[in-house]
Amino acid sequence: MSITIPEIASSEPPKPPSMARHLTLALEDLVKGLYDWRIWLLLGMNDIRQRYRRSQLGQFWITFAMATTIVTLGILYSYLFKMDLRVYLPYLGTSLVVWGLISGIVTDSGSAFINSEAYVKQASIPRSVFVHQMLVRNSIVFLHNLIILPPLYLFFGLTPSWVLLLAPIGVAFIILNGVWVGLLLGAFCARYRDMPQIIASLIQVVFFMTPVMWQPPQLPGRLVWLVRYNPVESFMDLVRDPLLGQAPPVSSWEGAAIVTVVGYSVSVLFFARFRARIIYWL
Amino acid sequence: MASIVLDRVTVEFPIYNARKRSLKAELIRRAVGGRIQSDDDSRVSVVALRDISLMLKDGDRLGLVGHNGAGKSTLLRVLSRVYEPPVGHAEIKGTISSLTDLTMGMDPEATGYENILLRSIFLGVPIKQARQMVPEIEEFTELGNFLNLPMRTYSSGMMVRLAFAISTAVTPEILIMDEVIAAGDAAFFEKAEARLDRMVGSSRILVVASHSDTVIRRMCNKAALLREGRITMIGDVDEVLATYHGQD
Repeated sequence: MSITIPEIASSEPPKPPSMARHLTLALEDLVKGLYDWRIWLLLGMNDIRQRYRRSQLGQFWITFAMATTIVTLGILYSYLFKMDLRVYLPYLGTSLVVWGLISGIVTDSGSAFINSEAYVKQASIPRSVFVHQMLVRNSIVFLHNLIILPPLYLFFGLTPSWVLLLAPIGVAFIILNGVWVGLLLGAFCARYRDMPQIIASLIQVVFFMTPVMWQPPQLPGRLVWLVRYNPVESFMDLVRDPLLGQAPPVSSWEGAAIVTVVGYSVSVLFFARFRARIIYWL
Repeated sequence: MASIVLDRVTVEFPIYNARKRSLKAELIRRAVGGRIQSDDDSRVSVVALRDISLMLKDGDRLGLVGHNGAGKSTLLRVLSRVYEPPVGHAEIKGTISSLTDLTMGMDPEATGYENILLRSIFLGVPIKQARQMVPEIEEFTELGNFLNLPMRTYSSGMMVRLAFAISTAVTPEILIMDEVIAAGDAAFFEKAEARLDRMVGSSRILVVASHSDTVIRRMCNKAALLREGRITMIGDVDEVLATYHGQD
């Protein structure tokens, strides 16, 4: 007979996998996830395609919506803050576009696994694929928003400088961090379904605490720490400063590097421990 | 060489109701200290598979029988690496194709041709090979010019034809099926059956769950009877089927 119940040498109950085993499987998941780039590229692009299907302006509604926000908020706040429109509008425009990428990634992270239930339960696809899918989607949105900036700079007579070349590095930094944020929040939100709402509220708070609408010099001296120890601000700087023609301060590179290292360490361990459980939470 | 080894695999599904799942419930519980809440702590869960040990190698064609809820589908999902067992060990070697959801990855808005590529990506077929599959799928589905139209314009029968044709175009080492697919009208059914037989014949390991004795008898050389998440009997097809029907 070819089928047998295997003879198990020991009669003791099977041991749960060790942490080392969990870690190996998690790293395997991450490597295979990158290797399956066709799947996440396709899923991410489909997300956008489906959202704007059969609309005339299509995905350029993203651009249009952002442009409207920038112009209306820009004009209003330049009066409120009594700032020169020629300085304020390019600043606000750039800030909002970069903020859109960061906040989009953080809020979408929560639903990375929840929204992919159908796939997760049908096929053995690395979990990281769905995080990458979320990043592709947000990158596409970001690229559409980016279109607004050149005309905006041109209109206000900003000339590009060589530091502009640092901007893509900043963007890459943000997306790189999106992976650990997605793994961590994606799993956490699958288990605790109140988390997506909590994150959505918190991100609003972060928006007001981070120099997006306002500029750091407007802050009274005793509140400077708000900017100095704000990890989100480091990432904002890395993209916004080069776009506006200046090199980001060293402290921002340091801040971003620290967040990356700490974030990955925590997230990979967390993911390793709970990766196999995610499917049971969906 | 393909092989499947399950060593005392147990799969439980925790049931979270809204309260249990919320962070608030967890925090409150933690804050209170836990001791009194011990009955509250006993999480409700459904045991889908209990202590399953199984060894399959090249040439094995296993049929799974059992009543609804006996654990057949869960076992198939463990075998296709979808569920990693929290207790016990599963080692599955070989490429797997699971004919449980034929349309996974397909997009109703995309054309038939585009969907061949889309579905192939999910089956793990390289783009190049997927392109080479196209003429054969064209011929098999007999969809003609419809392949140039978005899939949402297809009738459900046409959609099944296409999904079936793509999903069965490549032969995996391990083939997993949950009920054999009945595809299309009578004429197509015969064609589909022949194609499925070929696929089954060239796969190294087959595991199929079915309520049809005919299917199990035709495709399998071994059968396993599941009851309440356990394998209660494994071995000769006729013997297992006899026990299965005798148990009620």
